[in-house]
Amino acid sequence: MGDVFPQLAAISPDDAHGARYLLLAVMGVVAVGFAVAPLLLSALVAPRKPSEIKQSPFECGLESKGDAWVQFRVQYYLYALAFVIFDVEVVFIYPWAAAFTNLSTGALVAMGVFVLLLAEGLAYLWIKGVLSWK
Amino acid sequence: MNVMLYSMEIAMVLSGLGILMLDLGTPARGKRDLGYLAAFLMSLLLLQSVFMPEVQDGFSLLSSGHSITEGPGYKLDAFARYFKHLFLLAAILVLLMAVDFAGTLRARLAEFFALVLFALTGMSAAASATNFITLFVSIELITVSFYVLTSFQRGQMRSLEAGVKYLILGAAASAVLVYGIALVYGATGSMEFAALGKACPSAEHDHLLRLGLLLVIAGLGFKIAAFPFQIWVPDVYQGAPAPVTAFLAVGSKAAGFALLMRLCHHLRPDLRELTLTVLAALAGATILYGSLCALRQRNLKRLFGYAGIASAGYLLLGLLALNAQPGASPSGAQGCHAMMFYLAGYLIAVMAAFTVLCHLDGEDEDLSVLAGLHARSPLLATVLTLSVVSMAGLPPLMGFLGKFLLLQSAFEVLSPHPAQLWLMVVALGGVVISLYYYFGILRAIYWGGGISPGRPAGESEAITVPPLARLLLIACGLILLWVGIFPQALLEWLGDAVALFR
Repeated sequence: MGDVFPQLAAISPDDAHGARYLLLAVMGVVAVGFAVAPLLLSALVAPRKPSEIKQSPFECGLESKGDAWVQFRVQYYLYALAFVIFDVEVVFIYPWAAAFTNLSTGALVAMGVFVLLLAEGLAYLWIKGVLSWK
Repeated sequence: MNVMLYSMEIAMVLSGLGILMLDLGTPARGKRDLGYLAAFLMSLLLLQSVFMPEVQDGFSLLSSGHSITEGPGYKLDAFARYFKHLFLLAAILVLLMAVDFAGTLRARLAEFFALVLFALTGMSAAASATNFITLFVSIELITVSFYVLTSFQRGQMRSLEAGVKYLILGAAASAVLVYGIALVYGATGSMEFAALGKACPSAEHDHLLRLGLLLVIAGLGFKIAAFPFQIWVPDVYQGAPAPVTAFLAVGSKAAGFALLMRLCHHLRPDLRELTLTVLAALAGATILYGSLCALRQRNLKRLFGYAGIASAGYLLLGLLALNAQPGASPSGAQGCHAMMFYLAGYLIAVMAAFTVLCHLDGEDEDLSVLAGLHARSPLLATVLTLSVVSMAGLPPLMGFLGKFLLLQSAFEVLSPHPAQLWLMVVALGGVVISLYYYFGILRAIYWGGGISPGRPAGESEAITVPPLARLLLIACGLILLWVGIFPQALLEWLGDAVALFR
């Protein structure tokens, strides 16, 4: 195990890792406090003079018009899905390619199966007409 | 690499991909036949696997020296094979159910069939898993397929809601599971289940291992719908299409239990003390929660959901027996025996019940849709009665012996600890409560006429059931009766499968 996760192998009772984790906890408390303190402060100190215009939601300084619950066509979501699949493929192929010379034939077969599966998916999408923009 | 070791899974994946490809050339009216094709292929696979020679060993695909696993992490023993048969049977019934359900599903039928096959592949791999990597990959394959299947009627708000709830809670459960696996790996330095049987290098490692083990049990607890990881069950069961709900209730649950059984089998004696306590608490709470929530439930799918939670509790009793100290009594194998028998009975009963549900008209599955069913279709009424009585655990049906064996095995483990006997009281109480809600269904079938608000009084025309579904329903009913009266054959067959746990 030590060669894979040296940090874990280093855990022992006399180690000072407890102090390091304490530091992490202090960091967490400070970070939360840093975010919460201004909110509390403004809630306590700020004067409250609400008006119609101040209460209304706005976007980029503009008054909002109409309903936010409108339907719009997300035609590109299928492209996005296909893109993510091939993006993830790279994550697997890259380390495989980097270690290629040391790998067995089994690894070649495995990657071949993986790429073929993806190619099958691409062919399916293509023939289904998903990739043609209407 | 020994291809024979994975031959069933490869066949399942290829069938799924083939169905997808065939879909491209199939005209719209022929799509339903793809479901028959998928069911036919799986039946062939089931027949072939029953007669397949034993293949025990194999080599890993990546068997070069720098693999973090030892061996293939995969075992095709009698235990795995029994579960594979169960999953195949469930998938065949689900596919045929889905063909009849095609009118409701409307579009993308081929993808539905293919996804069922991919989920089946995951379950089948889970039955063979002997290390945490196979465990996680197979669980994810099941869950990801079900994310899509549960929200398949995506035009319907309720189906979408079910999909989103299952997705979010499922992702959280996967995170817990993978964190637990990481802790176990950190503590033992191995991904194999077998490493759980060895002593840790230091006390700190041991703490990590215990925490990791609890997280793994929590992650798998989501799959089997044990309290307190059951919160998704009613909504998802209600919103998902009926065939998916049936597959989720049977397949996903059985896969989770198969993994837990293998996992518990390898535990060290002192870890067994821990899991015994945890599982006892889980079992008691699960039985109570499922039974009490089912009491006032009027929606049939939700009712089966709660009943399924209670069943998970009874199955946990069997798992408890599996955690008995080795050599203390023969109850380790006995618990396994009971769980496998119970799962078989549960599969048939649930599949029969959901096939009946598929043929009932009406958008909502309120108990009132059953009103007068005995007059409208005696077959549906009879099969639903058999299935419900079997789930309630009354003799002479299959569910009786399953529940009896589970309670017996748990009793033998707990009898040396009088303080733990409260669990038996809870379990027996659950059985009594279950009689009430199961008989609520029977009352709705036979005595529920007339008082159905919102439905015209004259709606009593006969329901026509397609011939194939009729055949399957009759077969399910006969199996429930036959195995219930003559359980010897199945019990002897199970003897091989539990040899692992002796």
